[in-house]
Amino acid sequence: MYPRQIEKFLPKVQKPGRYTGGELNSVVKDKSKVDIRYAFCFPDTYEIGMSHLGMKILYGLVNAREDAWCERVFAPWVDMEQVMRENGIPLYALESGDALTEFDILGFTMQYELSYTNVLNMLDLAGIPVRSRDRKELTPIVVAGGTCVCNGEPMAEFFDITLPGDGEEVTNELIDLLKEYKAKGASKQEFLEAAAQIKGVYVPSLYEVEYNDDCTVKSVTPTCGAPEKIEKRNVADLDSMYSPETFVVPFLEVVHDRTTVEIFRGCIRGCRFCQAGFLNRPIREKSPETVEKQCRAICDSTGYDEISLCSLSTSDYKGLEKLIRNMLPWTVEEKINIALPSLRADNFPKELMEQLNAVRRSGLTFAPEAGTQRLRDVINKNITENEVLSTARQAFSGGWTAVKLYFMIGLPTETEEDIQGIADLAQAVVDEYYKNENKPKGKSVAVNISVASLVPKPFTPFQWEPQDKPEVLIDKQNYLISCVKTRKVSVSRHVPWTSFLEGVFSRGDRRLADVIETAWRKGCRFDGWEEHLDREKWMQSFEECGIDPFFYTARKREYDEVLPWDHMDYGVTKSFLVRENQKAHKGETTACCREKCAGCGASKLNGGVCDEIRQTVV
Amino acid sequence: MKSVRLWFKKSGLAIYISHLDMNRCMTRAVRRAGIPLWYTEGFNPHPYMTFLMPLPLGQTGLREPLDIRIEDDMSFDEIKSRLNSAMPEGIEIVDVCEPVKKPNEIAAAEYEIETVFLSEGEAEGFAAGASSVIEGGVLNAEKRSKRGIKTVNLCEMVRSFECEADGCSVRIRTILAAGNTVNLNAELLMNSLFAEFAAEPEKTSVNRTKLLCNDLSVFE
Repeated sequence: MYPRQIEKFLPKVQKPGRYTGGELNSVVKDKSKVDIRYAFCFPDTYEIGMSHLGMKILYGLVNAREDAWCERVFAPWVDMEQVMRENGIPLYALESGDALTEFDILGFTMQYELSYTNVLNMLDLAGIPVRSRDRKELTPIVVAGGTCVCNGEPMAEFFDITLPGDGEEVTNELIDLLKEYKAKGASKQEFLEAAAQIKGVYVPSLYEVEYNDDCTVKSVTPTCGAPEKIEKRNVADLDSMYSPETFVVPFLEVVHDRTTVEIFRGCIRGCRFCQAGFLNRPIREKSPETVEKQCRAICDSTGYDEISLCSLSTSDYKGLEKLIRNMLPWTVEEKINIALPSLRADNFPKELMEQLNAVRRSGLTFAPEAGTQRLRDVINKNITENEVLSTARQAFSGGWTAVKLYFMIGLPTETEEDIQGIADLAQAVVDEYYKNENKPKGKSVAVNISVASLVPKPFTPFQWEPQDKPEVLIDKQNYLISCVKTRKVSVSRHVPWTSFLEGVFSRGDRRLADVIETAWRKGCRFDGWEEHLDREKWMQSFEECGIDPFFYTARKREYDEVLPWDHMDYGVTKSFLVRENQKAHKGETTACCREKCAGCGASKLNGGVCDEIRQTVV
Repeated sequence: MKSVRLWFKKSGLAIYISHLDMNRCMTRAVRRAGIPLWYTEGFNPHPYMTFLMPLPLGQTGLREPLDIRIEDDMSFDEIKSRLNSAMPEGIEIVDVCEPVKKPNEIAAAEYEIETVFLSEGEAEGFAAGASSVIEGGVLNAEKRSKRGIKTVNLCEMVRSFECEADGCSVRIRTILAAGNTVNLNAELLMNSLFAEFAAEPEKTSVNRTKLLCNDLSVFE
């Protein structure tokens, strides 16, 4: 329930439903009966945050405890922020309407580097100092999890704690510890030192960073007994892991408004640009029975008519066929559509495909990622032109007339020929359509190419690679457009300035804290939204803080350089990443984990077990 | 297949659900309730569901009609109790019946409006002014329609208007044209009256109490 003083402003802002709460299945508890109040903070709009599976998991998990109450907080859109600032209304949580200062833990999920300024803005809107050292009291403790915390250094000054890896177990352990320390009246420092002893907890303030004269990191030294390496948390068994059986059902239309159930974690593919594929190793699967049970429970309690089976590469799920066969009868009966994101159509039974499309037909997308076989080998995207074309052929004979192709530019070793190759491949798909004899009369084909720019990320084999500067990427985009000779192919591209900033922060270090705060004070927020990204303000902020942003993006790093995130341990070893980087430059591929174990090292996190190799390394 | 008319109350937090969002919200509620909805046939089957008179964002509705079609027979009482156990906060099914009148017979709606001012003086002044403007029969405002913006005389769409001050509040009971051909949003009327007197109220709440036919009999 929103605070009363906001009521008269609600009719004046866009989409007031973002700020009211009260959605079906939202959890309201008696605050006098809980020990720990947890605010799950999503540093972007309601519509994006409400689509995020991680939030649904942790919301259910914390609320399953009697002694804790988890509420939701989103970044207010600029119109609402103005109303709140003008009228002195602090940022509040949707369930109770209470200001964030009344909470014990503020848990941010960091999915995207460009939401960093939103974190500062949300803290400030609640009247909470943005820097960790300026928050003297034990609570609220500001915690962060999610992909970005694999390199939490740019935000190290702002977060008290980050939680690399799976959050399901460590969140409960952290709540238990805070409950204990709060009860005995401990100080914040005492709590942080104790928290650092929990596996998968990183307390940035307990580490001292020294730099070399050339601004690279010299050393990272733990203090107060904090561990040298912070090993990410890994949930071993997904079947017994907490998974929600109900979702909060938003009134507003949100980005993904459906039942979402995870089918496995990790990925066997090893595409060298893909951070998620390396951060989430080893592979752990959920059984088809568990997945089905969870899907049914969520559909029943929400009324959703779409299920998305979620993973990094759906077709690699061993139980997929069985799961779909079991689910089809009841989903068709109840008019529920099953969506399989990132499905490779080539190895999926055609008859099942047809049944899946019986309820509602979805779009068709492929991600060849690069235009030539040579470059696809460099990035280890093990898909051939023939595979793309034969899948397209199958789709066209099934009546599809529109196809989306995803590519990346700015890949290591890329030449003009590779960019030309993107246009050629799109043309080949168009030609495939006209070869089809049963094509619908008078209907043209639409091939949409979407080009993203590579941002080299930590814990990938490309973590040492230079990133193309924005001007170079614009030239490459223009070259691609000049190569497209038909109106049947359309190109959608992204502003390379967002990739540039993303690149600075993903491989950044602690010296960036001042830049982030300066840019935010100048008014930067919602940087991931093209209309809000203010390039001038960011460049001014870099200059005022004496930081060269290209130091982080355009520079090739040596293998022996101490990287700002080297003290984080995601299981995958540095020697494996070096090997993969060298193979990339030689254009050699690495077989997927199912064919042959590449020895990435991640199975050690799971007691030596990886669901792919199913062997115990002693 | 059978047509059923649901009557619901939308109040509290639910007034901020827009019309488009209501559609999704009600579809899901009906699914959760296990009511055997009839789906359209075609490439993209969807449940048949029609809001007869969409309620603008931010307004309370005491008795709003919604037509659905169901496949099997289910008693009205059963539908009502199942739906009420599946409704989100702020939406309540008050009645379920067979459709009696056709949707295009809706011609007017009755409203209770309360506007709160900072002082009693402002409230009294506005109440007196508003009554005389409506009696005078001319209140021009720009109204957006599909064919663009045009100036219309709102008084022609006001069927009755009673207004009185009560402390800092002004209470209005009014019947306004509603329906597919001529329709007046109570918010537009109020904003035009505020503009006329440069009034700056603290808060205005609009409550649509019932829908009426052209002869001002109750729409059923």
